[in-house]
Amino acid sequence: MGKANNTDGQVKSSTLRRRKTLVAYSFIMPNLIGFFIFTFVPIVFSLFLSFCEWDSGNPLKFVGLKNFITMFTKDKSFWISLTNTIYYTVVTTPLTLGLALFLAVLMNKPLKGRVFFRSVLFFPYVASLVAIAVVWMALFNPEKGPVNGILMALGIANPPRWAASTTWAMPTIIGLTVWKGMGYYMIVYLAALQGISRELYEAASLDGANGWQKFWNVTWPGILPTTFYILMMLLVATFKSYDTMYITTQGGPGEATKVLAYHIYNQAFKNAKFGYASAVAMVLLAIILVVTLIQFKYEKKFSND
Amino acid sequence: MKKKLVASIMAVVLAAGLLAGCGGGNADSSTGSDTSATEESSSEEESAPAEPQQAEVAEATTEDVTIKVALWDYSNTEYYKTMFDAFQQQFPNISIDVVEFTADEYEDVVTTQLGGKQDFDVVFMKGAPKLAGLIKQGHIYAIDDLIANDADFNKDAYAGLVDELSLDGHTYALPFRYDNNLLYYNKDLFDAAGVAYPEDGMSMEDYHELAKQLTSGEGNDKVYGAHIHTWPSNVYMFPARTEAFKFDDPTTYENLIPYYNEILAMQDEGLVQDYGMLKSSNIHYSGVFYNQQVAMMQMGTWYINMLFENVGEGKENNFNWGVCSIPNNDSMALGNCIGGVTPVCIGAYATHPAEAWQFIKYICGEEGAKVLASCGIIPGYSSPAVGEIFDAAPQTYPNAPEGLSKYMNCEKNLPEQPMNAKGGEIDTVFQEEHSAIMTKSITAEEGVQNMIDRVTAALAE
Repeated sequence: MGKANNTDGQVKSSTLRRRKTLVAYSFIMPNLIGFFIFTFVPIVFSLFLSFCEWDSGNPLKFVGLKNFITMFTKDKSFWISLTNTIYYTVVTTPLTLGLALFLAVLMNKPLKGRVFFRSVLFFPYVASLVAIAVVWMALFNPEKGPVNGILMALGIANPPRWAASTTWAMPTIIGLTVWKGMGYYMIVYLAALQGISRELYEAASLDGANGWQKFWNVTWPGILPTTFYILMMLLVATFKSYDTMYITTQGGPGEATKVLAYHIYNQAFKNAKFGYASAVAMVLLAIILVVTLIQFKYEKKFSND
Repeated sequence: MKKKLVASIMAVVLAAGLLAGCGGGNADSSTGSDTSATEESSSEEESAPAEPQQAEVAEATTEDVTIKVALWDYSNTEYYKTMFDAFQQQFPNISIDVVEFTADEYEDVVTTQLGGKQDFDVVFMKGAPKLAGLIKQGHIYAIDDLIANDADFNKDAYAGLVDELSLDGHTYALPFRYDNNLLYYNKDLFDAAGVAYPEDGMSMEDYHELAKQLTSGEGNDKVYGAHIHTWPSNVYMFPARTEAFKFDDPTTYENLIPYYNEILAMQDEGLVQDYGMLKSSNIHYSGVFYNQQVAMMQMGTWYINMLFENVGEGKENNFNWGVCSIPNNDSMALGNCIGGVTPVCIGAYATHPAEAWQFIKYICGEEGAKVLASCGIIPGYSSPAVGEIFDAAPQTYPNAPEGLSKYMNCEKNLPEQPMNAKGGEIDTVFQEEHSAIMTKSITAEEGVQNMIDRVTAALAE
């Protein structure tokens, strides 16, 4: 907000400061207005809605904590969706992070055809989710898919039925998410890796460090801020994700791949329970908020080390 | 001149304000301008009371108006254009502004749009439950008065369907289409196997046995005896036709168990394609029957039109096909029909409800029905003319069977999903539990119990 360090007269300084502040505000105003109308107001309205019953047609009815009580005590689908969301996030996030880092380290080496491999890995991210999902589902088709074809050729008589089984549906979707996302995070990691000074590696070599030691003592601290950034992006993205399930399994079989965001969508737009859906959305918001706060705290702690 | 204009505008505003019930307090204080307006501008007076007529019974004018019509699949469906053009020839003063949304998300989008008080005059719906939901939300215009004041309108021509589109004593929609469910079979495959054609009133066991006899071959050449598409309705339709099962009555759900078990057994024996495979490959039901990969398939009567278009001499697929009523365990041959209704209604925020009524009466009436029937689609409006068009089908489409009209004049037209505002929720439960049962993640008994528990809870809310 442009704090002027003007040592001239008090009056002049404050006028200048005010003017600078106004200029600064005028610059951020367009964005702020957009944010206010399209993000802030709906969020506040949604918070308010979570204490109401509303079907979008009839007038709002204030019901206090009823939505939350129903959610926590009666709605089995809510608990199933919550468990599924946690399962999805807890597996997808470290897997994507780990693979992205592994690939980035690999692609950072002077490898032949490096550009080609980078492009191949980045490609799923660029392609449309719908297209990617269709390909993935075809690969993992329980009867005619090449994956099960290979598994059967290898002598596995009863390979998993992937998206057609309540046990394997979620892992299938996690695989799809990881495949689609890892290319992007690999690029982010690559940028971070290239930002680490060569001299540090040279110094480490002179001290006789081996590959692992160099990774843990030079690379890892160097990319820690990036890791935190990726971790946060991934956690938020996986918590609120439902598009992949919507395209592939529609939350099934049974409720095996129904996540919170999908439950919200169903309640709001299929069942016209906008108040109840907002209440579930508030729970999702609270979870994301808590996770983000924990991360901020740890990020500060680690950066201070 | 200027004063006159201002005065007349004020008169209109005042009149509108009074009629809307929000201008009462101002009436006394502005009597001056009010009287001057009435004295000076008698001609404008006539345009002012347009509002109250709408509030009572809307009346069509001869002025040029444009009605907004919300529907799906307009751009790739020829009969809409034929019908709309014919309507406009008869009513040259009414223009049609088509608002098209994608078919898959249609109902959700329309719900959201109406939530924003979008001024659609005519709204096509995909089924009764969502219509009931919109009615409960106050988004749909009740047409009782329009019907009562229209001497030409004959409710009886819809064989009870108009009453099925009523809720809490009010009527809200006319049935545009009524697609009941039939069992389609490939005559050529039956002839080749030397098996007699399926008949009306088969039991599920007969159906299973027939499927076994018709299944042959391996790998890519395999012919399946039957095809069960992935919709839950492809199971519950069988007992629903005999009223052993009712969509919004959980006490009838137990009757689904034997049907599920029969179909699961057929799936285990490889007589039908596997549910999980169909689902993850997104296989459309139409292709497998066109390509002669399956001998029998339960589907709605919209498929008749698709078969007309895609099967025949000089087309990619050429075989003779027939239809019979769907199997059931209550030995019902003909009699009831079960199927989906396509209702057309008037939006609550319509600017021209009277013209919208003209429009829906036309497309859901004799003229619209003839256009639909000539395209092989069953209209909600029944008339001998419609049956004749279908019975004449083999003349134009030699692969089609004789006597199709037999399956269109049912004693009782049952809706697949009744007018219940909770219909959407029930449907979600069915989709989920159906997928769990069909992938054998849980048994039919467990799945049906879940349906009972979840639907009972949803209805109790």
